[in-house]
Amino acid sequence: MNGFQQIDKLSGVAGAAALVVLAVAPLVFPGNYLIGVLTVAAIYGIWAVSWDFMSGLTGRENFGHSLFIGVGAYVAGVVNVQMELGPWWSLPASMLLAVAFALLLGFPTLRLKGPYFALAMLSAAVIMQRLMLIFWEYTGGEEGIQDIAPLIRNNLHYYWFVLVVLAATTFILSWMARSRWGLILRAIRGDEATCLAAGIPITTYKIVSLVISAAFAGLGGALYAHYQLQVSPQLFAVVTSVTIITMVYVGGMGTIYGPVGGALLLTLLTEGLRNFGEWRLMIYSLLLIFILFFLPNGFIAPLWKRVRSGWGDRA
Amino acid sequence: MSSVLLEVDSVDKHFGGLHAVKQVSMQIRRGEIVGILGPNGAGKTTLFNMLTNFIPPDNGRVIFNGQSLQGVKPHKIVTLGIARTFQLCRPFVGLSVLENVLVGSLGPRVRHDGLGDRAMQLLKQVGLEAKAHTPSELLSYGDLRRLEIARALAAEPELLLLDEPFAGLGSSEIEAISSLIRQLHAEKQLTILLIEHKLREFMQLVSRVIALDFGEVIAEGSPAEIVAHPKVIEAYIGKQTEMAVHHAA
Repeated sequence: MNGFQQIDKLSGVAGAAALVVLAVAPLVFPGNYLIGVLTVAAIYGIWAVSWDFMSGLTGRENFGHSLFIGVGAYVAGVVNVQMELGPWWSLPASMLLAVAFALLLGFPTLRLKGPYFALAMLSAAVIMQRLMLIFWEYTGGEEGIQDIAPLIRNNLHYYWFVLVVLAATTFILSWMARSRWGLILRAIRGDEATCLAAGIPITTYKIVSLVISAAFAGLGGALYAHYQLQVSPQLFAVVTSVTIITMVYVGGMGTIYGPVGGALLLTLLTEGLRNFGEWRLMIYSLLLIFILFFLPNGFIAPLWKRVRSGWGDRA
Repeated sequence: MSSVLLEVDSVDKHFGGLHAVKQVSMQIRRGEIVGILGPNGAGKTTLFNMLTNFIPPDNGRVIFNGQSLQGVKPHKIVTLGIARTFQLCRPFVGLSVLENVLVGSLGPRVRHDGLGDRAMQLLKQVGLEAKAHTPSELLSYGDLRRLEIARALAAEPELLLLDEPFAGLGSSEIEAISSLIRQLHAEKQLTILLIEHKLREFMQLVSRVIALDFGEVIAEGSPAEIVAHPKVIEAYIGKQTEMAVHHAA
């Protein structure tokens, strides 16, 4: 026994099964509509896990995650349309630039206590959205950047590619969250002064976790740009960050796999409720209030823990 | 190797107009258990915070193992071999008891193999092994003290600073923690410095007492000497004349 949490076999099997179901779903119910919805859901999944890795584990809620997403997407646009490089270049380039922004913002903001980190990140995202309009010669202003080339022409194949990225991201971040690293991040959430007394340089850990979180958010941003084939300043909007945070809450904060479920659930719910016309937003909001009010630890992760312990008892 | 482990050389601290610690000097020898006694507000916790650089002193020096602590970041202090607990128990909420102890051993001072086994060993020593997988926020206050001590010990310190380890405990728990501290001192050749504002609790425990009042060292000596020291009596009970006034009132 080494004292650290392990990814148990049952969770591994369940994760693999979920992946297979998601991959096969468009074959069972063919049609571009479902592929599109699932692609967006998977991209939201990448954004939600990347948010959860930093904010869910350390308890430092980042209300400006859309900044890293927007940077990633715009880098894809600039690299592809303006610099005329091949589309695959956007993936490493967007991760790199998102990391640069995380370093730039993390150093001053992560020393802040209380709600000020959240507010600083929120403001940074709003400022970036304005900058996209101010520097319209480079960013295309309100229009954004159009005619981005797809990474993979076939919709279904692109969906599978996004799904693989989601699975890899979730696996890497789960593994890290269960390592010594993750333990330290959760300890930071518990008490920063005690962490210092235990010899842990908390600012370094917070900055590096923000960098990792930003890298995956930027990657997701580029994947989104290559799906929409255009980017607009709307991506930087606060509502993007808030949607992601809601997904994490519904999934179960700090659990990594939970937010993936939250992202899939809420994206599919949004689409499923389209039939309800103008009732849609009301039903959606009521469901959210219900979940957040009655299930403060979220829905997906606690459900899975219950199922797993049920199986464990029988085994 | 010098016999003096910790030397405090006229440290001074102001908080605005409040002179919290005034020119305090002391020496702690290896293997001692020393108690710092003082009424509330005497500057005990501020002194502890200066020993660990949570608050840097305005003036004066702290020398540990022959090395000045000036400018050493708080998280590096434990690497040098000083571990502390807090007056109000501060567990890592959301982590299990075992994980709390593990975090204590993740600094660069400790070898990183077999951490889990050593953490369990420590929990056994402080009597918490049965609760290893309990979420730390569910522990009783006495158990939280044990956890704090185990977490501090996980860093394998030479000097253990205990900030009011008996605060908020009942008399049977005080006795239990007291014997735990004695046992750890004997087994690990630890040097221990502890703060307390109640005399009785550590008379049996410490070999030497340093009494503080209003940020100054007012007396130093064996527990028996301290109890009889006029300045200590004055700090705790008040002057004879004041007593008379009290009685008259």
